[in-house]
Amino acid sequence: MNLEKVIFGFFVLLAATMNLGFFIGDIADANLHSEYELYAAVVVSLITTVLKFGDRTQIGAVHLATSLVADLQLIAATIVWVYADYVSSSGLDAHAMSSIVSLSGGALLANLVSVVLLVIETVSFHRR
Amino acid sequence: MHPPERPRSDQALWHERHPGRRPGKSRPATRIRKPGEPLDPQLTGQDPAATNALITGEHRWAAVSRFRQAGDVPGPEGGPLSSRGADTGSAPIFLIMRRMRTPLIVLIIIFAITTFGLALAPGETPEGEPHRMGLFNAFYVMSYTASTIGFGEIPFPFTPAQRMWMTVSIYLTVIGWAYALGTLLSLLQDRGFRNALDMRRFTRRVQRMRDPFLLIAGYGHTGQRLGRAWDHLGRNFVAVDIEPSQIESLEVDQYFADPPGLTADASNPFNLKLAGLKNPHCQAVLAMTDDDDVNLAITMSAALLRPDLPVIARTISAPVEDLMLAWGTPTVINPFDRFGDHLRMALRSPASFRLYSWLEAGPGSEQPPPGSPPAKGLWVVCGYGRFGQEVVGDLLAEGLDVVVIEPDPPSDEFLAAELDLPVRQLPQVIHGEGSEPEVLDEARIEQAVGFVAGTDNDTTNLSLIAAARRRNPDLYVAGRQNLPTNRSLFAAMHLDMLLVPADIVAREAYARLSTPLLWRFLEEMPQRGEDEAIALVHRIKDRCGQYLKDVWNVELTAWQAPALAGYLDPESVSPRQRQRRHAGQTGRVALTIGDLFRDPDDRDERLPVVPLMLLRDGEATIAPSDDTELHLDDELLVAGTRVAQRELQTILLSEGTAQYVVTGTRMPESWVWRHLVGRRLPNT
Repeated sequence: MNLEKVIFGFFVLLAATMNLGFFIGDIADANLHSEYELYAAVVVSLITTVLKFGDRTQIGAVHLATSLVADLQLIAATIVWVYADYVSSSGLDAHAMSSIVSLSGGALLANLVSVVLLVIETVSFHRR
Repeated sequence: MHPPERPRSDQALWHERHPGRRPGKSRPATRIRKPGEPLDPQLTGQDPAATNALITGEHRWAAVSRFRQAGDVPGPEGGPLSSRGADTGSAPIFLIMRRMRTPLIVLIIIFAITTFGLALAPGETPEGEPHRMGLFNAFYVMSYTASTIGFGEIPFPFTPAQRMWMTVSIYLTVIGWAYALGTLLSLLQDRGFRNALDMRRFTRRVQRMRDPFLLIAGYGHTGQRLGRAWDHLGRNFVAVDIEPSQIESLEVDQYFADPPGLTADASNPFNLKLAGLKNPHCQAVLAMTDDDDVNLAITMSAALLRPDLPVIARTISAPVEDLMLAWGTPTVINPFDRFGDHLRMALRSPASFRLYSWLEAGPGSEQPPPGSPPAKGLWVVCGYGRFGQEVVGDLLAEGLDVVVIEPDPPSDEFLAAELDLPVRQLPQVIHGEGSEPEVLDEARIEQAVGFVAGTDNDTTNLSLIAAARRRNPDLYVAGRQNLPTNRSLFAAMHLDMLLVPADIVAREAYARLSTPLLWRFLEEMPQRGEDEAIALVHRIKDRCGQYLKDVWNVELTAWQAPALAGYLDPESVSPRQRQRRHAGQTGRVALTIGDLFRDPDDRDERLPVVPLMLLRDGEATIAPSDDTELHLDDELLVAGTRVAQRELQTILLSEGTAQYVVTGTRMPESWVWRHLVGRRLPNT
């Protein structure tokens, strides 16, 4: 067992699960989407990105790319939240909430690709 | 058990010594296939490479390289163990990413924990109601606190619980930032990282070179002199040297361009490839290091990897010179050998030598003073090393008497073998130091006409010259300066002839590379006799002054001289253009050299240029006269000022200027006027 692989797999999966946890629920209902869950998703996604730094293989490059996409989507969702909550006159209404959740949905797709890559890597490693 | 030893014939023994030959009669040769000739019977309708057939001749390389891109090593290529070398292109960014992984994760975690804690810490509004500041405000506060900006406590003054958490956060975030920045800075100062960066920058710049450039391997005194002169011409070069200080001089010294330099061992072909040996714009390779073996390795790499490139190599040893000449046709410059040749030329034809050394010294050199070494009498040569050997050989060949002074002379047999002379005709060799009065007495210094100080120590050479001059002030003195730093000392001695090995090599390489015709001129000129050389020296001095300005080629081709092509050969331009141009006159206007060099401002004046050589159909005419008629595709070698060079360029390119210079009539320069004039032509 390799501790580095454990940590890497842990964070990749955790990023996907956090993201899913935030995403699940009625898209326009603010009560079903916790801001702390989004915060955790952003933090875990950032850590995952940094963990993927410096791998020069092709699969490593795609890994990094998926993480960067997830970061971008999640940070965009956060900015929309902050804008709706603090700046916008209409507040955190159904429209704002749905765009936040759909942005995180995009990040979820990227995270799922990341997980698929992880699985592919693991399977091909065993075959070798 | 060994087979019993059996007496063998001479022929069997010979074949044993030459294992490649088969004993017995050779096969009846029907016809011997020459290399490159196609196989008999011809394989038709088949791809020879695909059928695993024996492919020979010119198709062989094509077939081999179809399978192998690089074509460097025989056998299968590629794979993880391949010797291709790792891709150095994107190394630095990956290095940064990998090293920064831990500090960045630490920073993210610290930020996440402190922001989260601050968002949850119980606060109060001024009215005393409980309030939590929320994640966004907490992130804002943490960001400015961590970066030590500190805007204060927002949105409301903090409660003690919030302040406690802030205290912990401040220390944590400062540690996180310090760790991350520290790692980044130490990485930037890391030697390996900087090397990776330098290498990457160098490779990029060499790859991006789009103009012809020289590859100078060995950037010592010779290389630097050549590089600076080359840069002054406005051309590019790439330098490779193992000494970091030599490459750093590229950044310290003044250059017009910014030549790329690599600190690496030039005898390693990989480094030469990095420096652009395989670049199609590489013009020539110069092996200018101090080490003969390295120069040989460079010559070899260049001959094998780019057989089409000219190579100029420097060496001071005759055996190495032979080894170098085995690799294609490199130009090998041995400064001692060249000095001997110069001495012979100076003895035999002093005026030619004067012109030769003036032109070879390049732009900005002063006209050498007249004067020639005494061609009769006794020469004293101090120091019999590689230099002394060349000089003594050349002096003897010119029929002069020579006395050699050497503290550690070789035996007579050795000397005879080296100089290729019978033992009784050998020059007199005196054991001893040349500065001792008795030794100078024995060498008959009072009767001598010439003196050569040729040891490999500058101090010895200077004191030898001083001692000899005190005894005989009329001596013609030639000296050898080994270190470039002693230049001022030798200049103060006012020698008649001075050997600086670095200078000789740099000058010859420059003359060969800068102007292709110049070297041919220098080779052919001495055969033309003394009067021609004297006349040329005077002509250059009269028109261009005491200092040589520039020497350049003028190619009178339709491409290089479009404005003159019609005058040189009326068939080469379109009839319409011809008609327009010769509006006022009939018949062909013959263009002479004198016409070409008229001043575009006032055609009765002459441009300050001197034609040195005219090359027509591979035949060279030295110092062509002004009434020589010019033809299309002639090439001229000219000396003159830089202003004259620009004027001449205008004559070659601008039709209006060319017409004025050749015929004296003004031609409208603009398109509109040209058409208006053209309409008034009688025949259109």
